Amino acid sequence: MNKNMIIKNFFIYIGLIIITILTIFPLLWCLSASLRSDTEFYKYVTPFSINTLVPVDFTMDSYIKLFTKFNFARPIINTIFVSFVSIVAGCLLNSIAAFAFACFKFKFKEVLFGIFLVSFMVPFESISLPLYKVVSNLGWVNTYAGLIVPTIASGLVLFLFTQFFKDIPPSIIEAARVDGANWTQIFLKIILPSSVTVFVTASLIIFMDQWNSYLWPLLVARSKEIQTIQIALSSFKMERVTLWSCLYAGSMISALVPLGLFLPTQKYFVQGITSSGVKG
Amino acid sequence: MNNMFGKFKALPYIFILPAFLLIIVFKIYPIISTLLESLMVKGTFTLDTYETLFKDKIFWKSLWVTMKINIVMIPLQIFIAFCLALLVNTTVKGIGMFRTIFYLPVTISLTVATIVWNLMLSPNGGVINSILGIFGISQQDFLVSKTQALWCIVLIATWKGVGYWMMFILAGLKNVDASIYESAKIDGANWLKTVVSITIPLIKKVLLFVFVANTSINILLFVPMQIVTQGGPEGSTNVLMYEAYKSAFKMADRPRSAAIVTVLLVIIAIVCTLQFRLMSEKKEA
Repeated sequence: MNKNMIIKNFFIYIGLIIITILTIFPLLWCLSASLRSDTEFYKYVTPFSINTLVPVDFTMDSYIKLFTKFNFARPIINTIFVSFVSIVAGCLLNSIAAFAFACFKFKFKEVLFGIFLVSFMVPFESISLPLYKVVSNLGWVNTYAGLIVPTIASGLVLFLFTQFFKDIPPSIIEAARVDGANWTQIFLKIILPSSVTVFVTASLIIFMDQWNSYLWPLLVARSKEIQTIQIALSSFKMERVTLWSCLYAGSMISALVPLGLFLPTQKYFVQGITSSGVKG
Repeated sequence: MNNMFGKFKALPYIFILPAFLLIIVFKIYPIISTLLESLMVKGTFTLDTYETLFKDKIFWKSLWVTMKINIVMIPLQIFIAFCLALLVNTTVKGIGMFRTIFYLPVTISLTVATIVWNLMLSPNGGVINSILGIFGISQQDFLVSKTQALWCIVLIATWKGVGYWMMFILAGLKNVDASIYESAKIDGANWLKTVVSITIPLIKKVLLFVFVANTSINILLFVPMQIVTQGGPEGSTNVLMYEAYKSAFKMADRPRSAAIVTVLLVIIAIVCTLQFRLMSEKKEA
């Protein structure tokens, strides 16, 4: 029995380590490339040696250049602002609508829910052209509103909230009604406190969507002032002389910010999806 | 419960209204507008755009490429995600760290993933080729090869996407009562049988969600094509979504682009409906 366990764990670790290498190699590669000069980078690529991955001369030049020469702080701040507003507005509107779908019976409920679900199956990429026309008619091209408002109502986030709220026993809500609580109180005092995990999950999903968004900001936020991080990154590639080390450094930053948010909250993230997934 | 809530007829509608208005203006209207644009030429209703499109060999080739990549990529991603979820659901030491590592690529944008992989897969002086060199494998063309480019994109998208779906499936697994596994063990069911006949039916809801979400994302995947291959070489990575993008932004043929997007949305709707049907039928059985 004990021997079996050891063998089993041995194979589990082998699997884990192989996948870790496959997962992490491009990231290490990216990190290493961001810490060396372009010339050094190309010098050691082939044949494969330890210096392919480990820089000979460590340099932070590309990171410094990124912030001094290319003003990379601006897109970072822009994207954080856009993400933050999207999270607050997205959580609020979607959770309130989900509350209605989960706890009420009303006419056309299935149809209305269906409309939200359809929207979840139609990503922004596919409707970007007509959407651009709408946003342009509203005068929102090159504004934060153009980046934020169209993304607020989200089928996915609404779906998560609805699944989660369905698990809240109706008897609790009924008891609160009998005690004379109004719906705002029920939402704030019963629903919200028992749904922290799903709010964290929704926030992470919204953040990741905004942070990694590419085509939509490319169309709607072209001016340097409100440029988001992915566009700033791709502009390194688009310019004739590609600045590889800066691109790698920017990629590292682009990866580290969501990571910094995900690591401390991942427990909630898993819990949030867990509780909204299976039951209900 | 019905009576209890019956008194507040308008209330649920008020709760839904803000989100609903946004969905109508920024999702439903653009979808309908896409449909209309594909059906109107100079203000009159016509099927000309579709007729031209369906006679176009490029469209059919592109449809074939789209099917080819998705038939491989969707099941592959979900299979790997499922295996990863089973793996990180074990209770060996340090499993939390591994789970986090597997999720890392998700936090990276597809744009960045594509750019980094493109350089790693470069035929001259790419690091993957120099690694293959250790094993005596000759230099491969990867993204500039007609036969390999599409599968390289599958690799990039899978590397980036699998951790995301793993998290959802893992969440489902965590919800399964451990005592169910214990009783299966007592009944003498082996590991594979337990997974197929107990685990999968129990996390069906999560799997359905993962299938539907994964399908719509992958069928519309086009960032790697837009950044690296431009649909080539020789149209081998020219998926419909990229063809639509090209029609709109490079050929300024918006009706054609709208018609292609409409076709794509219909395909997604059909596939997702099938998935819903299949999964919910099993539930009743």
